[in-house]
Amino acid sequence: MTVSLTLENVSAHYGSTQVLKDLTLAVAAGELVSLLGASGCGKTTTLRLVAGFLQPSSGTIRLGDRDLTRLPAHQRDIGLVFQNYALFPHLSVRDNVSFGLKQRGADAAERKKRADRMLERVGLSSFADRMPAALSGGQKQRVALARALVIEPPLLMFDEPLSNLDAKLRVDMRVEIRRLQRANGTTSLYVTHDQEEAFSISDRVAIMNAGRIMQLDTPEVLYQRPANSFVARFVGFENLIDMTVVERLGETVTARTKDGALLQLSQERLGAIPDRFILAARPDGLAVARDGNGIPVTLGIRTYLGRAYQYQCAAEGQSYLGNGSLSEPLDTGDRAVLSPVPEQCCILPADV
Amino acid sequence: MLADRWLRNKMVKRLSPWILAGPATFLVLIFLIFPVGSTLFATLTDAKGWLAPYMAFFNSSLRRTVLMRTIEISLITTVISVVLGFIAAYVVAHVPGRLKSIMIIAAVFPLLTGVVVRSFAWLILLGKNGILNSALLSLGLIAEPFSMLYTKGAVIAAMVYLFVPLMILTLAGVLEGIPKDVVEAASSLGAKPFAVFRQVILPLAMPGLIIGAVLVFTGSFTSYATPQLLGGERQMMMGTFLYQRAMVTFDWTGASTVAAIMVVVTIAIVVLMTRLARRMNPMAA
Repeated sequence: MTVSLTLENVSAHYGSTQVLKDLTLAVAAGELVSLLGASGCGKTTTLRLVAGFLQPSSGTIRLGDRDLTRLPAHQRDIGLVFQNYALFPHLSVRDNVSFGLKQRGADAAERKKRADRMLERVGLSSFADRMPAALSGGQKQRVALARALVIEPPLLMFDEPLSNLDAKLRVDMRVEIRRLQRANGTTSLYVTHDQEEAFSISDRVAIMNAGRIMQLDTPEVLYQRPANSFVARFVGFENLIDMTVVERLGETVTARTKDGALLQLSQERLGAIPDRFILAARPDGLAVARDGNGIPVTLGIRTYLGRAYQYQCAAEGQSYLGNGSLSEPLDTGDRAVLSPVPEQCCILPADV
Repeated sequence: MLADRWLRNKMVKRLSPWILAGPATFLVLIFLIFPVGSTLFATLTDAKGWLAPYMAFFNSSLRRTVLMRTIEISLITTVISVVLGFIAAYVVAHVPGRLKSIMIIAAVFPLLTGVVVRSFAWLILLGKNGILNSALLSLGLIAEPFSMLYTKGAVIAAMVYLFVPLMILTLAGVLEGIPKDVVEAASSLGAKPFAVFRQVILPLAMPGLIIGAVLVFTGSFTSYATPQLLGGERQMMMGTFLYQRAMVTFDWTGASTVAAIMVVVTIAIVVLMTRLARRMNPMAA
């Protein structure tokens, strides 16, 4: 049984501060969607609203055709995995896993059978009789995962489940989570502040800021075609250049930066260009060369990246990060020009 | 330099914990083990034979009644204090910061006055011409003043009042220490509020509950001033009985026997409570 999760115009307040603003989000059946953002962006609030630990001030939350909005947490039937594992310290690993089954009235034999089968799936069969205090962080999180999965919930939610683990384990665990989620086809909502984690594990990612979803799309689209300057900066477009069109000749557009440099851009390669726009470029989207057509700059610090040199570049009142070829190293203080590489750039609407 | 080398000497290093623990061990030995030992030793035998003081104690129905009454009053006091203290501590643990410190101060406040003063307050409340009787009379609820003093109820009420603050203090810390997400995990797994309480909060609070219960039980079991003032002769407890043996009748062996029995009962109850706790939460104790 796979169902979809929908949030419609959900707002939430802590006291008089609004932490979630008219949030609308649909997670399709069997899909894993991540909420990604810095702390305070509302991602955890969203999860807590769906879990039933917080009440929205307005809006509706639905799971399939069930309206969850006013349902108490224990009737929602959601599997939750917490950042701090939240295992019951007084219960053995097996009793932790079968806790949910006990609440559902399963008898002891049934509970043991299903808990043991689930522990086998997460590779912890031999730990069933241990207490949580005797487990490592990774093992604890696998128990937490087993505990959430064994009740076969229609929705799984993860609240920064890997942030207490070390780097190597984090990668292993996220593959594990994805494998189990795929195998069961469970609709999932995953909260994290780690971009790599979100992009690697999710079908779609919602990038959040100040209680709003800035963009919700597949990792590929977010990474290559951010919809606004917030998302662009988030996914590593470090150069956001405000520009104004001064001349259009067929598909070739001439635009000017704030400090007067002129760039010729092709709509065939960059898509439609409005009169005022932001040219977003990662460092490898701005090629540093000694001369040519582009933004004239003075070079600052040069760093070696292995595949290229990266330069801090200063123009009148603006600074850029650009990459230059290894065959032609330039020195600090040299004059150079920056020219956009169309494949590595994108056009964003100007910020209002 | 010399002292330094002396301290690094292997032998000194190995012995230093024992040397440092020496003075305290010596004090405990002289002022606790020896007197308690000799008190107990004196009760083991007298002119009438081996263990005769205990036979005398348990052959007297009055003394048996005093012992049973003391156990009964202490257990009832403990149970009431646990229930009231738990509710209060739960509230204290869940209110926001500022209000919490005010509530804790309010809970501790009675501890700032002496036991005698606080027991005396109950005399004024419960007496024939006390505040409670006057209030009931003037409301027309009763025709004649109730006699509430010198009853078990009076002793229990006063002792609960004495010991609930202790219970609140021990439990508030423990309840605050229960992680919020563990409770949330339980309800997300489908546990109804009572099931969360019974299967998660109660077992996790068990260590504090036991410490609190032991404090209250031993406190009420050995109390002297409260049963003396509010129970009088009629509600004599072990503490008052011991005093009477020792200071009125100068029966030192009898008094020592009472003391020994109190020690044994207290240890037995503490062991029992810890067993109970471990059954509910293997992490406890």
